[in-house]
Amino acid sequence: MQQYKFTIFCLSLLILFSNTLNAEQLITPLKNKPLAPNLQLPDMDGKTHKLSDYKGQAVIINFWATWCPPCREELPSMNRAWAKIKSQGIAMIAVNVGEDEDTIFTFTGDYPIDFTILLDQSGEEISRWPIKGLPTTFVIDPQGRIVYRAIGGREWDSEELLNLVRALK
Amino acid sequence: MKIQHLSFIFSLLFWQVSQAEITKTISPETQLIEWKFIEHNFELKLIQRLPDQTRSFFEARGFPKNITNDIANSCVFQTISRNNSKDKSQSIQVSLKNWKIKTDQKTQPIKLKEDWQKQWTNSNLKPAAKLAFRWATFPTEQSFEPSGDYNWGMISFGPKPGSTFDLYIEWKNNDQRNRAWIKNISCPKS
Repeated sequence: MQQYKFTIFCLSLLILFSNTLNAEQLITPLKNKPLAPNLQLPDMDGKTHKLSDYKGQAVIINFWATWCPPCREELPSMNRAWAKIKSQGIAMIAVNVGEDEDTIFTFTGDYPIDFTILLDQSGEEISRWPIKGLPTTFVIDPQGRIVYRAIGGREWDSEELLNLVRALK
Repeated sequence: MKIQHLSFIFSLLFWQVSQAEITKTISPETQLIEWKFIEHNFELKLIQRLPDQTRSFFEARGFPKNITNDIANSCVFQTISRNNSKDKSQSIQVSLKNWKIKTDQKTQPIKLKEDWQKQWTNSNLKPAAKLAFRWATFPTEQSFEPSGDYNWGMISFGPKPGSTFDLYIEWKNNDQRNRAWIKNISCPKS
């Protein structure tokens, strides 16, 4: 009986340990916190947005395309996250890479996006950011520095993840 | 007895982190084959793409037919790479420059996105098409942090539709270089 208790104890420790580690697997903190490039792009209505317009706020900025499967997978969770944070002084921006308004408009019929979408049709803006693949998401602090990066999709409406962003305010 | 239990648990842990695992599955819907490789927390999935799939993807983004045919007939796979490490210090680096394929005839490097782009230097390819190609193909070099980082992208391995090849892969766990072969990968037929 004691043997079983000991085995169960050891296995419980292992499970607890692995869960603790999983909780930390969210987004990557950037040690040097580089200044974010001052992005300047039009939205779907042609109005220009600058990243500097959001100074003083934490900003989640996601680079994506409609043809990118993990982008399509994570966007619903970003939209749910937006519903939670929009009244909390946090901004969320989706920068579409290389596509036109019509393509994005059709896409948002199936995948509603209620936060700001900016268009980088020429791909000039994305080339100024440290990005190798889509989707890539950055979290910018109120001082305009990149503090977190996520390569590939995440569940952005997770409270644990959003609390990291809320803590920047 | 306690020591026996502990050694069992530690051997289980060791087995989890040291064994390479390669699985091959066929999608019941598409009949396309997926190879999944896991070793030292590096996960790699290679999913067959039909030449027609690749052709229509690039045609829809403004590529002329001759170029889409070249790409589609170069054994393109959808590739997904992931860092599965739970250790916060375990970064994974991948450079496709070190990957090779071996066919009956020869061993050769894979065709990188830069090789394709060089081929089109003097073509009148639209900027939007070049942009789609750049972002839809797998990065030649990339680091994956242990915070759930992963990436998708197409890789063109080169052989003709219906060919079979062995793939040599390399990756680094921090500075530790690892290598492996994935055998008998088949390019889907037209």
